[in-house]
Amino acid sequence: MPAPQHPPRPQTARPAASAASPASAASPASKGARRTRRPAERQPSLDDPRIMLDRQISSDLYEPIPPYPTRTEREAEFYTLGDGEMFLNVGPHHPATHGVLRLVLKLSGEQIVDVDPVLGYLHRGVEKICENSDYYHVIDQVDPLEYLSSLFQEWPAVLSFEKLMDVEVPRRAEYIRVLSGELLRISSHILYMGFLALDLGGLTPILYGFIERDEIVEMLAALTGARMLFNYFRIGGVNGDLNHEFMSRLGDWMSRAGRQTEANAGLLNENEIFVRRMRGVGTLDRATALSYGVTGGNLRASGVPFDVRRAHPYSIYPELEFNIPTRDEGDSLARYLIRVDEIRESLKIIDQCLHNMPDGPVMAKLPRLLRPRPGRAWGAVEGPRGMLGVYAISDGSDQPFRFRIHDPSFVNLETVTTLLPGHLLADTMAVVASLDPVMGGIDK
Amino acid sequence: MSFATRTWDGMSLRARLLAILIPVAIVAALVTVGAILLLGPPFLDFLGANMPLVRFVVAAVAILLLTVPTAFILIYLELKVIARMNLRVGPNRIGPWGAAMSVIHGLKVLSKEDFAPTGTDVTVFTLAPVVTYMASVMSLLVIPFAPGLFGQDFNIGLLFFFSMGGLTVVGLLMAGWSSFNKYSLLGGLRSAAQIISYEIPLTLSVVGVIILAGSMSMNRIVLAQSGSMLDWFVFKQPLAALIFFIAATAEANRTPFDMTEADSEIVAGFATEYSGMRFGFFFFAEYVNVFIVSALTATVFFGGWTAPFNWPWAYNLNWFHPLSFGILGWVLIVANVVLVGTVLFAIAARLLGGREWGLWDALGLGFLFLLVAVAGLVGTAGFIAFDWVAGIVWFMAKTYFFVITFVWMRATLPRVRVDQLMGFAWKWLLPASLLNLFVTAAAVILTTPGGAR
Repeated sequence: MPAPQHPPRPQTARPAASAASPASAASPASKGARRTRRPAERQPSLDDPRIMLDRQISSDLYEPIPPYPTRTEREAEFYTLGDGEMFLNVGPHHPATHGVLRLVLKLSGEQIVDVDPVLGYLHRGVEKICENSDYYHVIDQVDPLEYLSSLFQEWPAVLSFEKLMDVEVPRRAEYIRVLSGELLRISSHILYMGFLALDLGGLTPILYGFIERDEIVEMLAALTGARMLFNYFRIGGVNGDLNHEFMSRLGDWMSRAGRQTEANAGLLNENEIFVRRMRGVGTLDRATALSYGVTGGNLRASGVPFDVRRAHPYSIYPELEFNIPTRDEGDSLARYLIRVDEIRESLKIIDQCLHNMPDGPVMAKLPRLLRPRPGRAWGAVEGPRGMLGVYAISDGSDQPFRFRIHDPSFVNLETVTTLLPGHLLADTMAVVASLDPVMGGIDK
Repeated sequence: MSFATRTWDGMSLRARLLAILIPVAIVAALVTVGAILLLGPPFLDFLGANMPLVRFVVAAVAILLLTVPTAFILIYLELKVIARMNLRVGPNRIGPWGAAMSVIHGLKVLSKEDFAPTGTDVTVFTLAPVVTYMASVMSLLVIPFAPGLFGQDFNIGLLFFFSMGGLTVVGLLMAGWSSFNKYSLLGGLRSAAQIISYEIPLTLSVVGVIILAGSMSMNRIVLAQSGSMLDWFVFKQPLAALIFFIAATAEANRTPFDMTEADSEIVAGFATEYSGMRFGFFFFAEYVNVFIVSALTATVFFGGWTAPFNWPWAYNLNWFHPLSFGILGWVLIVANVVLVGTVLFAIAARLLGGREWGLWDALGLGFLFLLVAVAGLVGTAGFIAFDWVAGIVWFMAKTYFFVITFVWMRATLPRVRVDQLMGFAWKWLLPASLLNLFVTAAAVILTTPGGAR
């Protein structure tokens, strides 16, 4: 059925429009006549948004990107199209850009010539917010940054504050931190595997991964009270001891975790299409990785055995036995396989934590209001995506004077400008997903 | 009776509708009866004189009407099977086991706004889904569902099928070009490149079958495979069957070759800017294509409607004369069967369900069970007595086997890259299909007494 036509409105409602249409202004018609006549609004009015859009599109078919004049030499070079090239705006609302990443690709056919990552769609000014909150409140401000592994974002913050205040953390609290952190690392890596497959078109691994991830999240909810933004670590310990539900869920899951990991990894490792899509794509060589400051699994996939847990030991990691898996290829497949190996190592660490868990308190005794002496401290931990660091400066007040967050995803994502050119459009998703960016941390 | 006693303004909505509908119905009935009396005999004569035309029109309409429920079934099947493979439940709210889900999807796209974004080439944008859908429907025209049950039996049946399948790409290219969107354009170009590349191995792989069957008519190809399962061409042409299945996957734009609508790369490809029923046509065409490709695989390589072994369906039921009972006899039979059957099944339901079901619940259930039982009996009798019923059953069983294989592949495999896709077609499938053709031709020449004709 055709949509009902609206009756024509009286022209007096819009003086500008009636002035633009002399026909209706010249003949003030009676009520009966107006019903039969063609509506006067059909005449083009310049403030009609549709007409404005039409004029814009017909005058210059493709809207220039960026809409402002270029500001730097690099921008001018990037936004000048060569012969047969076009821009493709991937994101910020694209199904495979892991949040609100926007990549402006310069394409020649389907081949990527150049890429300009545009960030900041999720910027909330968390560093400034932290500088205006007291030391206890910083922890829940930094939580949503690395939203897939938020304990790892709390950890460097409390680490730097503990250094500022010379707090001794109880050993049981350190064990609980490592235990919950490694669980969360596994959960993050499982999601990584699933989303990588999803970006390459595989539907199933993400759903199998979510089963494991949900089990981990449920047990962490039993421990911390939240499923995603835990707000669990405290300056001088953790908020709450291990409880029965957590331990029983953990034991239940650990009995099948290794087997299930191998099964989930086997879905992808032995898939010929997946391996061919990943091998040799987005190869990050050792020198480039080091010059960019890439950390974490992405750096270890390029052959540099750098892991904060071993290079700058913190917590109880010196007492634990685990390997640092490295690979020499540096391509997307190596980055993926490093993550699978890290899941196995994390399972080993969890086992050791459970066997060596000491008794004792889980919080140090601290005053209600923290006023550390003036000074500066750097706390860094190895997160699932690389080195998460916090540089905190105290001026003696109850708020940090400066709170600088170093995020590994930001540094890792920078490399797409060197990794992508020369590849095809479909490789964008493989490379970006294999770098594992989390936009919450990148845009801060 | 309010419409007879009240004025128009005093009536309720229902009364107004009745007041309009009843006179209209009376007039329509009178006109119909008059038209039948006056024009019926000459019209019947005309139809009788042009039987092939009538047959074609009826077949075309039937096939056009067949596509929509087929698409509904396939969409539901895909949702449910992939959900089970993903350890999910899938649709389970609308209808029994969520079976009406795809129908509701269809109604939803129907009720959406018919919308063309600014900057589109509206004519081409509107025609593109029509072209794609009609190409799909027309390829269904030559597929034999059962002995004597097909749209049209061309002697160039396979060739017609492939030409219609190639027409799909025109619609996709039109959609990609007219959408005023770079993702759509990339999708359209990908589909053009992909379908044109895969047409060649697809067509070449069945040439061996054509040589063996001696005809391009689909019916002849099926008849050449009749007998037992060992006469199926998949056992004589295994390589061709494999090539055909792979190329057909690409032809139907299914995973792992769904480059044209790769949702994680180019959002939805050619369909990015489409919504409402225009998108619905693309969506239907995709699933109709899956059905067609499965049906063609079953027809060309797996014996079509022939039974896998000598099934004893050709029983002679000549003793059964439906007219011998007379109309009164039929009324009595049906009434008695319905009454007695309902009561019997109601008793069974009451005994099984206990006291939770009241009398009316038990009677309703009994009637439903009776319907199921009668449908099963009639179906079985038809399967035994009529070769076309048995043909449909075997044909659908084979076709849905391949449909589920496609769904299985979609749940399992990631997507290949564009260059890998093209390289696979030109470097592997094309030489393999040429080799298959050469070996088949040589074998036919060598084994035919007196050489090739």
